[in-house]
Amino acid sequence: MRKLILRHNQAWASLKKKPGFILTVLLTMGITLGALLCVVTLNYLLLVEPLPYPEQDRLFVAEHKLIGPEKETKAIAFTYPGLVHLYKSKEAFEKASIMAYSQDVIVSHPSQPLVNTAYVTPELHQILASPMAMGRMFEASEAMDTNNPVAMLSYNTWKKEFSGSADILEQKINLSGISYRIIGVLAENFVEAELDGIGRETQVWMPWDYNQTGERGRQSFGNISGTLNFLGQLKEGVSQSQAQQLLSPLVSDRWQEGVIEMDFFKGWSVVMLVTPVKEVMLGDSESIAVMLLAGVMGLVLIACANISNLFMARTAEKQRQMAIQAAIGATKKHLFQAMLAETGLLMFMSIILALVLAQIGFFVMQEHFEQILPRVNELSFNPITFGSAVLVTVVFALFFAKLSTWMVDYRSLNTTLQSSGKGSGLQVSKKVRQVLIASQVALATVLVFANFSLLKDAVKTINAPIGFTTTNISTLVLNFASTDFPTQEERLPIMAEIKEKLEALPQVESISQSPSPLDGWGVRALTDVVSKERYTPFLNGVSHTYFGMIKQPLVQGDNFTLVDRQDRNNVMIVNQSFAKQLKADGDVIGMKISVGGPDPFKIIGIVKDIAIPNATPTGSDNADAGVPRVYTPNGLGSQRFMVKVKPGMSVSREQLGKLLSDVDSRYSVYSFDAADDILTKSLFVEITTAVTTAVLASLVFLLAGIGLYGILSYGTQLRRFELGARMAIGATRKHLVSMIISDNTKAVLIGFVGSVVLFALAYIGLSEYIQPFLNWQVLPMIVATIVLIMLVTLFACYWPLRQYINKPAIFSLRGSD
Amino acid sequence: MTVPIIKVQQLDKIFSTDDMLTHALQGIELEIQQGEYISISGPSGCGKSTLLSIMGLLDIPTSGKLYFEGQDVSQLSIEEAAEIRNQKIGFIFQQFNLIDELSVFDNIALPLRYAKRPLRLNIINDKVDYCLNLVGMTSMGQRKPTQLSGGQQQRVAIARALVAEPSILLVDEPTGNLDSRNSDQIMETLELLNMQGTTLCVVTHDIRYAEMAKRKIYLLDGQILGQTSFNDECIP
Amino acid sequence: MTEIKIEMKSISKIFETDDVETHALKDVDIVIRAGEYVSIAGPSGCGKSTLLSLLGLLDMSSSGSYSIEGVDVSALSLDDAAAIRNEKIGFVFQSFNLIDELSVFDNVALPLQYKKELPTDEFIKERVETCLKMVEMSHRADHKPNQLSGGQQQRIAIARALVADPAILLVDEPTGNLDSQSGDTVMAVLAELNKNGTTICMVTHDARYADMANIQLRLLDGQIVKDEPLMVAV
Repeated sequence: MRKLILRHNQAWASLKKKPGFILTVLLTMGITLGALLCVVTLNYLLLVEPLPYPEQDRLFVAEHKLIGPEKETKAIAFTYPGLVHLYKSKEAFEKASIMAYSQDVIVSHPSQPLVNTAYVTPELHQILASPMAMGRMFEASEAMDTNNPVAMLSYNTWKKEFSGSADILEQKINLSGISYRIIGVLAENFVEAELDGIGRETQVWMPWDYNQTGERGRQSFGNISGTLNFLGQLKEGVSQSQAQQLLSPLVSDRWQEGVIEMDFFKGWSVVMLVTPVKEVMLGDSESIAVMLLAGVMGLVLIACANISNLFMARTAEKQRQMAIQAAIGATKKHLFQAMLAETGLLMFMSIILALVLAQIGFFVMQEHFEQILPRVNELSFNPITFGSAVLVTVVFALFFAKLSTWMVDYRSLNTTLQSSGKGSGLQVSKKVRQVLIASQVALATVLVFANFSLLKDAVKTINAPIGFTTTNISTLVLNFASTDFPTQEERLPIMAEIKEKLEALPQVESISQSPSPLDGWGVRALTDVVSKERYTPFLNGVSHTYFGMIKQPLVQGDNFTLVDRQDRNNVMIVNQSFAKQLKADGDVIGMKISVGGPDPFKIIGIVKDIAIPNATPTGSDNADAGVPRVYTPNGLGSQRFMVKVKPGMSVSREQLGKLLSDVDSRYSVYSFDAADDILTKSLFVEITTAVTTAVLASLVFLLAGIGLYGILSYGTQLRRFELGARMAIGATRKHLVSMIISDNTKAVLIGFVGSVVLFALAYIGLSEYIQPFLNWQVLPMIVATIVLIMLVTLFACYWPLRQYINKPAIFSLRGSD
Repeated sequence: MTVPIIKVQQLDKIFSTDDMLTHALQGIELEIQQGEYISISGPSGCGKSTLLSIMGLLDIPTSGKLYFEGQDVSQLSIEEAAEIRNQKIGFIFQQFNLIDELSVFDNIALPLRYAKRPLRLNIINDKVDYCLNLVGMTSMGQRKPTQLSGGQQQRVAIARALVAEPSILLVDEPTGNLDSRNSDQIMETLELLNMQGTTLCVVTHDIRYAEMAKRKIYLLDGQILGQTSFNDECIP
Repeated sequence: MTEIKIEMKSISKIFETDDVETHALKDVDIVIRAGEYVSIAGPSGCGKSTLLSLLGLLDMSSSGSYSIEGVDVSALSLDDAAAIRNEKIGFVFQSFNLIDELSVFDNVALPLQYKKELPTDEFIKERVETCLKMVEMSHRADHKPNQLSGGQQQRIAIARALVADPAILLVDEPTGNLDSQSGDTVMAVLAELNKNGTTICMVTHDARYADMANIQLRLLDGQIVKDEPLMVAV
């Protein structure tokens, strides 16, 4: 024990002299291992750790798949009556629950927040065995058709919106004019089964009966909604495929019966998909997690190669010291133990830093990746994290110590002491060094290139022109908080007054009674009256001032007029993409299009396409294809507004809330968001990718630089006497620099070839991912990568050399001191 | 009187480490004329190798003047020093300092390859062959240094020092790594070169070899103790 | 008759590189008894340093037998050789070879750390202080080597060589990196140690210092030239 402490004290004393070395190792290993621990924990959580629900392997999500006449998938979404039919049938499932997701404003709350809501049957929380912080969960008293207005809050909502008030169970909240009594608050550790998108937390839970589907929607088998969900616990012994076979005919028969009158659905069919709840919750994040793990492994490999080089360089430096110790009687074991004390200390410090960084990583992921990765809220240190930390520390410490002592030829150590220097007890041959350089270059090239490619795509999406302006424009959506819905006629004067008052606000430049181009789109089934051809473009009802405000140019024909809106004229404006779809030459003015009603719409104008990030045409994943869009004039009763404020000014949600309630107390703000914010939000994945890849690429460069420096620096150290001899003969600095460079060129070239081989292997293994990247556009990326790697190499060649060639030649010719 | 090849005036060299100052050389005065054969001797640590390094522009003096063929070279840049070394000075070291990866031929040709104005290949070949012949190593051109004995390596080193036709040969302990027979041969070769006109300055602590020089300098603790006549009484 | 500390019989050492074989030592016989002060002299390249490496078990001979205090050490494993070096041999090198990162005290204490059984702290402290006193460097225990002059460093190196109470002190050109005054001091320290019973074997090419030994050996081309008076043939 005393020996151990002594060794570590000495190791520390020796290391202290080399703060640069400590810092490099600490940062390199700390950062990469931090990332490793973070990603390992994430992978464990996503791939291995079961969901925190009882019987979680029997929990399945049933989905309703609509298939078109050409056997193509039209949609995966329920119809309201279809879902209720399935729920009531109780087939295949022991327990089943249905949910409708939505958003609403708590109008009774002073700040009238917009919250995520879910309307559910009581079985859901029973199946999930949801822990409660307070009160009770829904029970039979809240079952379907009981119409019992009660609500549960999420823990965060209770804390944030109701400041954790103790008498919360005695309070009532009002949403859409209905007053709900709060009967329970879910516990902090409740993990929601997020079926409606990763990171969407339901803030207020209400009984199914109060879901916002209108009376007509509740009956119509033609009305498909993506917000309807089904979760159940399969009966014991019923397998996934058995369930699918049982349910499909049940649902299909009822649906066919329901749409028998509707021509549009001719030739369509329905099958049921039954999927484990975990798979639905994880989505394709499993592959993200695995990709992350692969990337981090690459980083760790590079870091490991780097640190190996650094330790080799350090051993080269310490050679004389080791020789002295050997002369005094240190055995090989002593030298190994001394080295192990050093590597152990360094790795211990690194892993502490790594754990801190991993903790920060968890926090960052929870803050920013909530929308990208499921279950990140459950991220925390667990035995797996600590286990991998200990394992990594021990393995790396042993590895580096072994490597360093392996380098030293114990037998010839004494030559360092006697002759004034030519003898070298170091074993690492030129070949090994060349292999190290080549592998470093190969790994760095692959990683940098991969990051560059991702970065380029992300930046391209971020910087892509959207085709309209968002500057100073915000969208305002009104909330109607009462059950006595006004008629269209009643609404007109109210909306007119609201519009007038909005326009009168001193901060406001103009108002358009329209939804924003960033929301409000629906997919509509349209039919060409002449050809009977069917289309499914996006459709939005907009005001006559819409195109002017967002500066979307009209390329042909006319804009809507106020009269079109007042008289609800059947006119239509289409974008260029849809015009092309309708007619190859795009000349579609005057064409008649049916939207299902008795009177068809006439196309009066064509506008330029807009490019909303990540929007693709229905049924297509091609991000580059133009999205067909159709515009119709909206009514003057529309409850959506675009507000354009004067530059440098802003309007608050509270101010608007006051304005609305002054006009009519039943109205409040549903949402009020700057268009720029919405845009940024929709680019979230790209921005995250851009930042992550840029950081990774820089990190790889840094690591590759350190690594190459390490190899070349001790390679140069070994050649010190040779350099001295050359200088004595009269070699100038230029001669020596170009000699070192040309000596290493071969290894660098091999490295580039190696990276091509790695790419080829990756291509064989993952061609479906890589194929889209393969075009002439990668050429500049390749060139940029190669140039950057070469710059790093040149730097690494010159830097270690400078200490010899910028001093009088005798410095290199004399011994080590 | 002709300009001396090397002229040293009031030369000091001080090594400093942390809080220690070591006077390696103090107030050295020395002139070396064309065609001379000088030996510098003294016990280990007396400063003789330091003096040789400074005269060979491998190191720079702390103070004092150094003239090479009349030109002040006390404070040259690294590049200028390299050029003079390449053109005017031939070095021979105790450790031979041949480059193991290059053949004997390429080792000898190295100074010509570093020359400011590159020479044509056939001229390089001629010069190297001539020098190989001079040291009696004509048949060994394609060998690697590791395939030679110490004496042979030192002879290759001499050929390398001669190839650029320098004004002076600076020789540091040439027999240090050789047995007595090889040492004698090397010293004979050097003597022969001097007789043919090469200016020589040899550092050695072997009295027998120091005695072979025409002029002898004895150093102790960084100062010149005696010149020309060797003081026998130093050696009991 | 006094105890034999070191006995070498027909020791040879051959170095081989690619095509060339060099006979560094040829049939060397040496006996060193307790309390003797032996100097080995000879021109550069005569094999002095090789002989010293063999004596110090830093290298292995090509043939011949070698024993220290009666124990045969001709063919030891690397670790056994290290253990013997630690126990029986104290080294003093031309270039001091102190470890710059450690204080004078820790440098001197170093050999004790490699003992099979780590001595107690008290023992280490006492032993190191004794040795520092012997070389008159007690006042510099907390300094770092690079804060000392060459002569002082060499005395620290001697203290380190003594600390494990070795059978013999092997000294390699101890004044090579020193000015004449420091050289004289170091030699005086060695002479004093020998007077107090330490067995010393020193390699030097400085005739004045070689003279201080009571037995003087001369090596030429790898062989001991016996009965040849030192440095006469000038």
